[in-house]
Amino acid sequence: MNLNDILDGTRLAAGGLRDFASGLVSPTLRLGVTGLSRSGKTVFITAFVHALLKQARLPVFEAHARGRISRCYLEPQPDDDLPRFSYERHVETLTDMDRQWPEGTRRISQLRLTIEYEPQGLIARNLHGGKLHIDIVDYPGEWLLDLPLMSQTYAQWSAATVSASRTAPRASHAGEWHGFLSTMKGDAPADEQHVLRAAELFTAYLARCRADDVALSTLPPGRFLMPGDLAGSPMLSFAPLDITPGHEPAAGSLAALMARRYDAYVAKVVKPFFFGHFARLDRQIVLVDVLSALNAGPAAVNDLRSALTGVMDSFRIGANSLVSNVLGRRIERVLFAATKADLLHHASHDRLEAILRVLVDEAVRKAEFSGATHDVTALSAIRATREATVTRGKEQLPCITGIPQAGQEIGTTSFDGETEAAIFPGDLPTEPGEALDGALEGQLKFVRFRPPLLKDVTFPHIRLDRAVEFLIGDRFT
Amino acid sequence: MTRKPQAFVLDSGKDEPKLKTAGTRTRIAFEPEPPQQELAVVPPSSASARPRGMGWGALLISALMALVSLWAGLAITRLVEDFFARSPTLGWLVLAVAALAGLAAGAIIIREIWGLLRLNKIEGLQEQAARAINMDEQQSARNVEQGLITLYGGRKDLAWPMKEFRSLSGDIIDPKDRILLADRLLMEPLDEAAHRIIARRARRVTLLTTVTPAAALDILFVASQNLGLLREIAALYGGRPSTLATFKLARMVVTHLAVTGGLALSDSLIQHLVGKGLLGRLSARFGEGAVNGILTSRIGLAAMDVCRPIPGRSPAREALGKLLREVVSFGPKDKDNEPREPQPGNTAEP
Repeated sequence: MNLNDILDGTRLAAGGLRDFASGLVSPTLRLGVTGLSRSGKTVFITAFVHALLKQARLPVFEAHARGRISRCYLEPQPDDDLPRFSYERHVETLTDMDRQWPEGTRRISQLRLTIEYEPQGLIARNLHGGKLHIDIVDYPGEWLLDLPLMSQTYAQWSAATVSASRTAPRASHAGEWHGFLSTMKGDAPADEQHVLRAAELFTAYLARCRADDVALSTLPPGRFLMPGDLAGSPMLSFAPLDITPGHEPAAGSLAALMARRYDAYVAKVVKPFFFGHFARLDRQIVLVDVLSALNAGPAAVNDLRSALTGVMDSFRIGANSLVSNVLGRRIERVLFAATKADLLHHASHDRLEAILRVLVDEAVRKAEFSGATHDVTALSAIRATREATVTRGKEQLPCITGIPQAGQEIGTTSFDGETEAAIFPGDLPTEPGEALDGALEGQLKFVRFRPPLLKDVTFPHIRLDRAVEFLIGDRFT
Repeated sequence: MTRKPQAFVLDSGKDEPKLKTAGTRTRIAFEPEPPQQELAVVPPSSASARPRGMGWGALLISALMALVSLWAGLAITRLVEDFFARSPTLGWLVLAVAALAGLAAGAIIIREIWGLLRLNKIEGLQEQAARAINMDEQQSARNVEQGLITLYGGRKDLAWPMKEFRSLSGDIIDPKDRILLADRLLMEPLDEAAHRIIARRARRVTLLTTVTPAAALDILFVASQNLGLLREIAALYGGRPSTLATFKLARMVVTHLAVTGGLALSDSLIQHLVGKGLLGRLSARFGEGAVNGILTSRIGLAAMDVCRPIPGRSPAREALGKLLREVVSFGPKDKDNEPREPQPGNTAEP
């Protein structure tokens, strides 16, 4: 245990103590919406808040279905240094004339939802009178990829990144960067222009790997892809070098400069982000966009799996004890959710869940081992499709219908974003392992749909109520 | 094609074990471990008891019954003929009366069969609901949903919850959640009513036992009150408690009490406390009354378990706490809040 670990531990404990004290009078639940970029965090948060504010149909959410929730409203968020999650703007994007999904998140934001309910327990009745604050943080999913960096040195990260970039399908997109990489010697004296050029090419390579047809996930550092307000900062000008994991840089060398910037990045960007927003979560939902990865092929699915494993390693999951209640809570409930389940007929949801189970198996096992409650589900926070069965001759195809987004195509048909279509996306494998080993090549195609029209001022959804019940249902005592 | 005996070596690292022969298309899929949740348990039914073969005794009784009914048929025919001999008018009258009696007998038989079928149907629903909850099985959940709709579709007291339940049938809800939803919407109001019925009957039994002058009489009272209780609860949950169905139900309840007799210890403890202890000191009769009241509420709870189309997921049995609560809440009112749990009875002999 070095000084850094002790410092981190103290930070955790201090934050935990503060939460415990304020939680006594006004109970607060920190809901961690975790997910890589494009997994649907913003849509989930918007739908979650919208459903509670507008009293949507949530039959499985018990406190709500029993009519014990009297009022829900938004309050100013507790942290003054964070922007507010622009809920209203997202709802408007989703519901205005040309209904679009919200754009990718570029910066961190926060929202506080307060729920008033009829308390049943003695403490709830007398101490805080049945009020629960739910704090939710939205952030670019790319940043999540940085969490594994906290436990890696520059040399380890460098070696891992470079060796990964030499395997297919990454190698075919890394040509230019590899060319430049071979000219850089770790022991050569540091040269700023060299470093900048390397960072630029490295960033271009990461961006290429993220494009829709490749759809890889393990692409740290996250701020390279989504710099937020750090664009152009020297902390972002470094890149991996071709060195061994145990490499010791000489003072003043190129490798030493890179390592210094990497360390600064971890200490000044990654750690504050983690300790500020993730270290004190109570509940967590891990959103995984399995379908997009399946669209892109087995390499993307495998990469998604390793990215999730790395990210989930950073969280403190486990049942809470007396001590951990006061000094830094653990995440006691984790819901793994395969998002965009509306792109599939519900008969296939079981198979989707099975694939997700394989993708997050390590995290699931960790949760099981540490005593946290966990569940795996397929959900769609905003359901953009309806279901239908197409009969052709003797064949029956379970389809979904909706308005595909402009530019989407399937087979030879492409869509203009206005016409409605019934889509049969292919059969998911009965054996989830097949999703990882390439046996499915070309058999699946999931098309993106435009957001649905509002139904009695609420969004239709699939199992959002179940997710809500699992995540916060037990707090309404 | 014959399959040779063969072994697959597992590579058990920190990951889930995989096959060591990498590269080939052999894959291993592990059976999922049973989920760690509380399982719904179907109350043991009389059907699961050892079936009795067709013995000589049964044959004797059937034969005797057949003789009696043949004799009755003959006697009635003769009676009608005699009356026709005297005067046709009287003959027709007697024939009409006999036909009426036949009609009533037929109706009773149909009702009995109907009642037994209902009981079987509820038993079947219980089984399917348990499967839907424990194994998250879609088809069973749908069957239970249909069954509940036919069972309670026409009930006025459930009209409102039923409407809500029907409105959910198009939603994508997991099988388990669907059954739990039905449990909350449809069963809970019925459970409350059942608790009220049990409390009323238990109080009545206590009072009657305390004030009856003769010991023989209170056996009669307790028996009739308990049978009445069974019928009331069965009717509440959608059964048709005809005579035979009530007897079958009584047998199922007794079996249930016998099987769940694991708590016989706490039972005798209660008796000790209530019967011979405090209350017994005050008045011997009242002590007995209290014991009978507790017995009645036990039988009521067991009947609920047997009659409820969705098996109740009883929470962990906190024997002592429950015991004390039962003693305290023996007074009027509080019975309503009592948790519904199968309870052993001291007379539980199948």
